[in-house]
Amino acid sequence: MTAPSRPGLAAGRVPARSETPGQVRPAGVQPAPERERKTVSVYGLTFSLPMLLWQLIFFLAPLLFLIALSFWTVRNFRMEPDFNPDNWSRMLGRSVFWEAYLRTLLLSASAAIVTSALAFPASYAIAFKLSDTARRWAIFLMVIPFFTSYLVRVYSWQIFLSDNGIINAALAPLGLGPFPMLNSDFGTMVGYLTLCLPLVILLQLFSLIFVDRNLVEAAHNLRCGRLRTVFEVVVPAARVGLTIAALFCFILTFGDFVSPLYLGGGDPPTLSILITDTTKSGQQWPRAAVVALVMIATLLVIAFAAVRFAYRERGR
Amino acid sequence: MSDFNRSAPVEWGLRAYLLLIFAFVFAPIAASFVFSFNVDRFPSLPLGGFSLTWYQQVAADPLVWEGLRNTLIAGITVSVLATALGFGAAYTDFRYNFFGKSLYLALALLPPTIPVVILGLAMLAFLANIGLSGAIHSVIIAHVVMCAPFAMAIIRLRLSQMDPSLEAAAWNLGASQWVAMRHVILPFCRPALFAALFITMAVSFDEFAVSWFVSGLNETLPVKVLGFLQGQVSPKINVIGTFVFITSMTLVVLAQILLVKRSTGRAAGQ
Amino acid sequence: MADRTVLSGTRRQFLRSGAALAGGLLATPFLNRRAFAQPVELTMLAWYGHAEPDVVAAFEAEHNVKFKPKYYTGGDNMLGLIAQSPPGTFDVILSDAEYVQQLNAAGYIEELDPADYNFDDYFPEFQQFPGHWQDGKLFSVLTRFGFLGVAYNTDAISEKEASTYNVYWDEKLTGKVGHFDWHLPNLGQISLLQDNPSPYDIDEDAWEALQEKTMTLRPQIGGFFDYGGTFSSLQNGQMLAMAGIGDWITGTLERNGAKVRSVIPEEGGLQWTESFSIGKGTAKADLAKKWIQYITSPEGQVKSATMAAYPALIPNKDGWELLATEDPAEAKRQGMLLDDPNNAVELIRKGRIKYRQLPVQQSLEDWNDFWSDYKGA
Repeated sequence: MTAPSRPGLAAGRVPARSETPGQVRPAGVQPAPERERKTVSVYGLTFSLPMLLWQLIFFLAPLLFLIALSFWTVRNFRMEPDFNPDNWSRMLGRSVFWEAYLRTLLLSASAAIVTSALAFPASYAIAFKLSDTARRWAIFLMVIPFFTSYLVRVYSWQIFLSDNGIINAALAPLGLGPFPMLNSDFGTMVGYLTLCLPLVILLQLFSLIFVDRNLVEAAHNLRCGRLRTVFEVVVPAARVGLTIAALFCFILTFGDFVSPLYLGGGDPPTLSILITDTTKSGQQWPRAAVVALVMIATLLVIAFAAVRFAYRERGR
Repeated sequence: MSDFNRSAPVEWGLRAYLLLIFAFVFAPIAASFVFSFNVDRFPSLPLGGFSLTWYQQVAADPLVWEGLRNTLIAGITVSVLATALGFGAAYTDFRYNFFGKSLYLALALLPPTIPVVILGLAMLAFLANIGLSGAIHSVIIAHVVMCAPFAMAIIRLRLSQMDPSLEAAAWNLGASQWVAMRHVILPFCRPALFAALFITMAVSFDEFAVSWFVSGLNETLPVKVLGFLQGQVSPKINVIGTFVFITSMTLVVLAQILLVKRSTGRAAGQ
Repeated sequence: MADRTVLSGTRRQFLRSGAALAGGLLATPFLNRRAFAQPVELTMLAWYGHAEPDVVAAFEAEHNVKFKPKYYTGGDNMLGLIAQSPPGTFDVILSDAEYVQQLNAAGYIEELDPADYNFDDYFPEFQQFPGHWQDGKLFSVLTRFGFLGVAYNTDAISEKEASTYNVYWDEKLTGKVGHFDWHLPNLGQISLLQDNPSPYDIDEDAWEALQEKTMTLRPQIGGFFDYGGTFSSLQNGQMLAMAGIGDWITGTLERNGAKVRSVIPEEGGLQWTESFSIGKGTAKADLAKKWIQYITSPEGQVKSATMAAYPALIPNKDGWELLATEDPAEAKRQGMLLDDPNNAVELIRKGRIKYRQLPVQQSLEDWNDFWSDYKGA
C-alpha cells in the first residue's frame, strides 16, 4: 500500500517553502530544478487566486488611476489628463510638505512605541494573570470599542480634555491649574491611543496567549528573575505579534486625520490634513495624489521591513 | 507554574493597571452614553438635564434606519468575503514560494497604506466608470479591498505559530491536501478566523471616508455620523454611537455564547 | 419511508409557494395603487440641513416629492464627488458662490431661464449677482446669504473690543483665537483690516503685505477648526474668538444658550452667498425648477432664514415682510426689518460689507499655498 503522491512526502520530509502553488511532485523524487514540470493544482490556486483576482480587478485600477492622477493638470477647476511632472516638483519642493512629512513620521512612530509600551503590561496581564473565564471577558470587553464609532469617541474626548472639561474640573479642587490638553500633540496622542490601543492589545494578546508555557517554566526553573523572563523569553517568543501590532498602529496613525484635526487642533498639520488642504486649491486632487503616493511608498517600505523582521526565520 | 516568580504586589499592580487601561478605553464611550441623555444641544458641564428627545429624534429619522441597514448588510458581507480572501492569501504566503511572491504580497497589503480621502476619490472614479458606484455593492467592494489585508495579517500571524510539519504529518498519514486543510489547518486557525471576522466587520462598520465617496446617495451609518458631526453638532451623534454600541455588543455576546456552547458541546460529545 | 417524507416535503413547499404567488397576484392591484402614490425622488447635494423636514416638508407634501440628500462637508469634496459621479446623479446642487464659478467652469450645471424665477422681488443688489451669471446667462439662483465678522465669547470680550479685527492680536487672547480652517474668509478679513477697498482684488504689493500681516497673527492661534470643531471650541470656551466665521455659527450657538456673538467690525465684514443650481444631465429638471421657485418664494425664504442647521439672511424683499410678521424676534436679531436704518441691506449699501469671492489677481492656489505655509509655521 503506497501512500498517494503528495508534495514533499519523501521520507517524511517537511515541505519546504519552495513550492509553486501549481506544482505536483511524485513522492520520493527530488526535484531536478531544470526539469520541473509545472502543472496547475486546483488546491493551491483555490487559495491564492481569489485575493489576487479581487485586488487586480478592484484595487489595481484605482491605484493606477491614482498614479496617473498625480500627473494631471487642473484647468478651469477641472482635472484634465496630462503628463505634467510639475505637480511632483512643486509639492516636493515645498518646505511645508517635508515638515509635515517629518512631523507625521515622528508622531506615528511615537504613537507606535507609546501604544505598544502601554499595551504590553495589559496584554501580559490578560494572557498570563487571568483565569480562563476572566480572560474571555477581558477579550470580549476589548473587542467592544471596535464597534463604537471612532469619530464619536474622539468627539467625546473633547469633553474630557478641554480647559473646562471633566479632567480639569476634577483637578481644580486639588488646586492644580487647568492643563491645556486639547489642541496640542498631547491631544493628538490621546486620539491615536483611542484608535489603536484596543487593536494593539488584542494583537499582542494573540501572540502572548500562544507562548509556550514550558519556556517560561524552564526559565523559572533556571532561577530567572521576573523581568528577565519577560524580556528574554516572553517578548522574543511573541515577537511576531508585538511587531505586527506596532506596525498596524503606525500605519493607522500615519493616515489618520481625525485625531490631529479634532484633538490636535490641526496645528501643526500632518500629512493627512495636508491632503485635504491641497484639494482646497480648486480641485487640486493631482497635487494631493502626490502627497498620497509619497505616504504609500513610505508605509510600504516600513511595512516590508517590519514584516521581514517579524517573520525572520529562527530555524523554522 | 512554579511559585518562584509569583509576587502579590506585582500581580495586583498588573490587575490595577489593566483596570486603568479599560477605564481609558471606555471613558469616551461612557461619556458619550451619558451625554446622549443631555437636554442641552452642546456638551458642557454641568449637565443640562435628562431628556430622551435625541433618542426620539434619531428613532424617527428614516435615513438613520436606512443607514443602519446599509451598514449591517455591508459589514456582514464584507467580513465574510474579506476573511475568506485573507485566509487564502495568508495560507499562500505560509506555504508557497513562487516568482512574484513579493508583488503578490504587496498587492495584498497595500490598501491600508493609502490615505482614505484619496482612496475614496480613486475608487469612486473607477467604480463610476464601470457602473458600480452609488450603491451598497460599491461599499462592499471598496471595503473588502480595504479589510482583506487586515484579515490576512491576523491569520498569517496565527499560521506562524503552527508547526508546518503538522500538515506534512497529515499527508504522511494518507490525508489529501483538502482533508488536511479541513482537519488540521482550519481548526488551528479558528481563533484567527473569528478574530478576522470581527475585526473586518468592525473596520467596515466604522469606515466613513471612502464610503462617503462611493456610497453616493445610499449612505452608511458612519457617513451619517460624519455628516452630523460636520453639519449638526448635537447629542444625536452620541445617540447613534450608543445605538451602534449596543447592537454590536449584542452581536459579540451572541458570538461568545455560541462559542462557549460549541466548545462545551464538543467536549461533551468526545 | 424517507422518500415519502421528501416528497411530502416538496409538496408542502409547492403549496406554500403557490399560496404566496396567489397572494401576490391578488395583492397586485393594491401594490399598483401604492406605486401610483410613490413620491418622486429628488436628489440634492448640499450643506447639512437643507433637506431636513423643517425646510422641505411643506414642499414635499405639496408636490409628492421625497428629497434624497447628499450632504458634503467642504466645497472641494463636493466638486470631487460631482466630477467622478455619473452625470445626472444630482438634481439640485446647493453651493457657495465661489463654487458656482468652479462648477460652471467645469460644466457640471445646467443653464437656467431667468424668467422662471422671481428676481424682481429681490433687492437690486442681488438681481445680477456676480458669479451666478456668465456672459449674460444665468446658471445659479441666489437663495440665502450671511455676514462674516468677528465671532467672540461675550464673557471674555466686550462688543466694543470686538469691533475691530485687531482684537485677534489682543494679548489676553493668546492661544485662544481660532481659525475656521479655510483660507478665503480668513485672508479676506485681514485684507479688510489692511484697508484694501476690494479685499480679494489686490495687487502684488498688497498681497505681500497681507501675507506678512497674517504671519504676525500665528502665535495667537490655538487651532484650525472645521465646522464641528468650530462649534465645540466656541461652545466650551476653548476658543474665545474665532476668525473667518459669522452669525451662521454663532447664531446657532446663541439659540442654544451659548455666550457667543458675531459683530461686523469697523473695518467691514464679508458676505457669503449660497445658491441653488440644477445638475447637468438631470432627468427631473422641471421638478428641480419648482424647488428653486419654492425656496425663493417668501414662504421658502422664511424657512431658509430660520433653518435649524444654520440661519441666514434673505435676498427677497417679500421674504423680509413675511418674516417680520411670522417671526419678528428673529427678523430683528438678524437685521431684516425694512424700517431699520441699519438692516442688512443698508450695511451692504453703506459699503460695510464686501462679497467673499475667489481672489482676482492671484490664483486660488497661491492663496491656499500660503495658508498651508501659515498653518505649518
